[in-house]
Amino acid sequence: MPDITKPILEVKNLRTSFFTDDGEVKAVRDVSFDLYEGETLGIVGESGCGKSVTVMSILGLVQRLGKITGGQVLFRGKDLTKIPADELRHVRGRDIAMIFQDPLSSLNPVLSVGYQIDEAMYAHDVIKHDDIRARGVDLLEEVRVPDASRRIKDYPHQFSGGMRQRAMIAMGLSNKPKVLIADEPTTALDVTVQAQILELLRDLNQNTGTSIILITHNLGVVAGLCQRVIVMYAGEIVEEGTAEQIFENPQHPYTWSLLRSMPRVDTSRRERLKSIEGLPPDLIAPPPGCKFNPRCPFRIEQCFSDDPTLETVGDDDRHIAKCWVRMKRAYAEMGAATLTDTRPGAASGVRPPKTLVEKLEDSREIEPDTEAVGDLRGS
Amino acid sequence: MAVDAAAVRPGATPQPAEPLLRVAHVTKHFRAGVSGVVHAVEDVSFDIKPGETVGLVGESGSGKSTLGRVITQLVPATSGQVIFDGVDLTTLRGERLRQQRRHLQMIFQDPFASLDPRMTVGDIIAEPLVNFGLHDHKEKDRKVQELLRVVGLNPYFNNRYPHEFSGGQRQRIGVARALALNPKLIVCDEPISALDVSIQAQIINLLEDLQREFNLTYLFIAHDLSVVRHISDRVMVMYLGKIVEISPSEDLYESQEHPYTKALLSAIPVPDPKIESQRRLVELSGEIPSPLFPPSGCNFHTRCPIARVPGICADEDPQLQEKSPGRFAKCHFSDEVRTKV
Repeated sequence: MPDITKPILEVKNLRTSFFTDDGEVKAVRDVSFDLYEGETLGIVGESGCGKSVTVMSILGLVQRLGKITGGQVLFRGKDLTKIPADELRHVRGRDIAMIFQDPLSSLNPVLSVGYQIDEAMYAHDVIKHDDIRARGVDLLEEVRVPDASRRIKDYPHQFSGGMRQRAMIAMGLSNKPKVLIADEPTTALDVTVQAQILELLRDLNQNTGTSIILITHNLGVVAGLCQRVIVMYAGEIVEEGTAEQIFENPQHPYTWSLLRSMPRVDTSRRERLKSIEGLPPDLIAPPPGCKFNPRCPFRIEQCFSDDPTLETVGDDDRHIAKCWVRMKRAYAEMGAATLTDTRPGAASGVRPPKTLVEKLEDSREIEPDTEAVGDLRGS
Repeated sequence: MAVDAAAVRPGATPQPAEPLLRVAHVTKHFRAGVSGVVHAVEDVSFDIKPGETVGLVGESGSGKSTLGRVITQLVPATSGQVIFDGVDLTTLRGERLRQQRRHLQMIFQDPFASLDPRMTVGDIIAEPLVNFGLHDHKEKDRKVQELLRVVGLNPYFNNRYPHEFSGGQRQRIGVARALALNPKLIVCDEPISALDVSIQAQIINLLEDLQREFNLTYLFIAHDLSVVRHISDRVMVMYLGKIVEISPSEDLYESQEHPYTKALLSAIPVPDPKIESQRRLVELSGEIPSPLFPPSGCNFHTRCPIARVPGICADEDPQLQEKSPGRFAKCHFSDEVRTKV
């Protein structure tokens, strides 16, 4: 069990922007969270919500157009955003390791897998140089690559997708890091392989106490692995809580909608999916007020003018949400339990103020009208 | 009409409707190198009834996309028949095949690659109409605007280019293009896997609405079994070029007749920590074998938890058999799937 009194990593008011020709894209907007020792933390959100940029910022991997514009990343009392590059290089890969989504493009095709795992250990003085060769094989065995002593001489193209991801995990673990960050580690893999990789990560966390940050868009993956969950939308944390709180009692309409928009394999298929209408906002000029207001069925007038802050919901201070309405009220006053119409404002009946209508509505989209085509209809 | 006939002759059972698509013993081999042969699709047979949605699910490399392309005749079959609306497409060439294709459209996975960036949305949607010389100019514009309206896009944006639209909106454009010729069958090849989670449901709902409205028949290909099961009436599970199980969607989660289906279902994560904590993963040993050298006998025997090796599973390829009404499986020991896997 994680020790929830000792944060190993503290992210405080982190802001990261990309300065493009079109303007400043504020990809991470004032994000704060703690990671505790031995904990598995999931960060969920769709592409462009800032989840990857957040962890890239933690490791100082934001490059070129991107820049950390504010905030702190405290690891063992040191602010990783302030320390010199070569000092950060010793944290990266040694204390905090990262595995990426696409294991093929993350591995060098002209070097053997073993060489690349060893390389990670030579770069840091954690493992005695004499032991490195043997540890490479041990690591591959640990991540369940069969016939490890032979396969370690193989090149990445000789490995399957799942094996490559295992090799990446072996590399990440080679220096016994305190924190392992996995950015969509199973997105490119088949479900059966995904299940094996997740089981591997779960065992690692339990056996070695390594803290894990798992980034994914798949809520199911989070439910199986993570003790605590952060939900991000448009560069901000919109809800945070234990896995139980997030999945059983979501309070932010975005979390709630995400959970209801996905078909589940274990429920009856007859029900129409409750889709989230509209698109994620433009991060250069997001809507005023709450950034989810153009898509939210439960919005009220206040949502268009004032941006809510993250506040405790319910009696447990670990569960926080950034919403004026919250699902508790939506259930009590807006009939969320029986909601079938998920269009923006459908449950609350609130239209955006006139001055905002043009800004908020995507004029490319209209209500689908299947009545429109007379001569298309089949017999 | 079968129903009317039954009304005329009391006591007669209504005949099931003629299949719209009958795939019979279709095999597709690709040549690899000098002497290698990729067994992409191996002796696959199934029917799709009019108005039905049949899902085709399998891991990468299972041959599901190749099968979709063989059905639409984008790649020719090595052997076997694709009988669409009573006509064997594999025997047609040139103009006669083109005329049949009108009724058989496809929606592709990648909404960025499947739309020509230099054509306007209007031209993209009108292209099938122009190809078949169906509409004059004025008529064409009207039709394009109607199609845009049907898929939920603003009809006055027909002069815009694909890059001005988001992924989900582009997929709507792809759907409109597929609808333009009023097809009977649409092959949807992973139509939502490139889209954001919050957008996927929009497209699924749209496809379902269109089906109801226009009497469409879908072959829905995807790797995500929860999506496939949601949209389909029947689900086919494919492994290494062969269909290993066909089942009504409703029954699939409750029980499985093939060990691979069971393994696949056990691996799908469910967004509920309580269920996840009780998950019992059916572990498959090793990885999917290369379709260049498919295993002998039942090609799943190298990974199957109940295979008799050495024995019948390694020696003899089981047939796809009806195990209970409407449920087909290709396994020597499907009785054991419920208890021993």
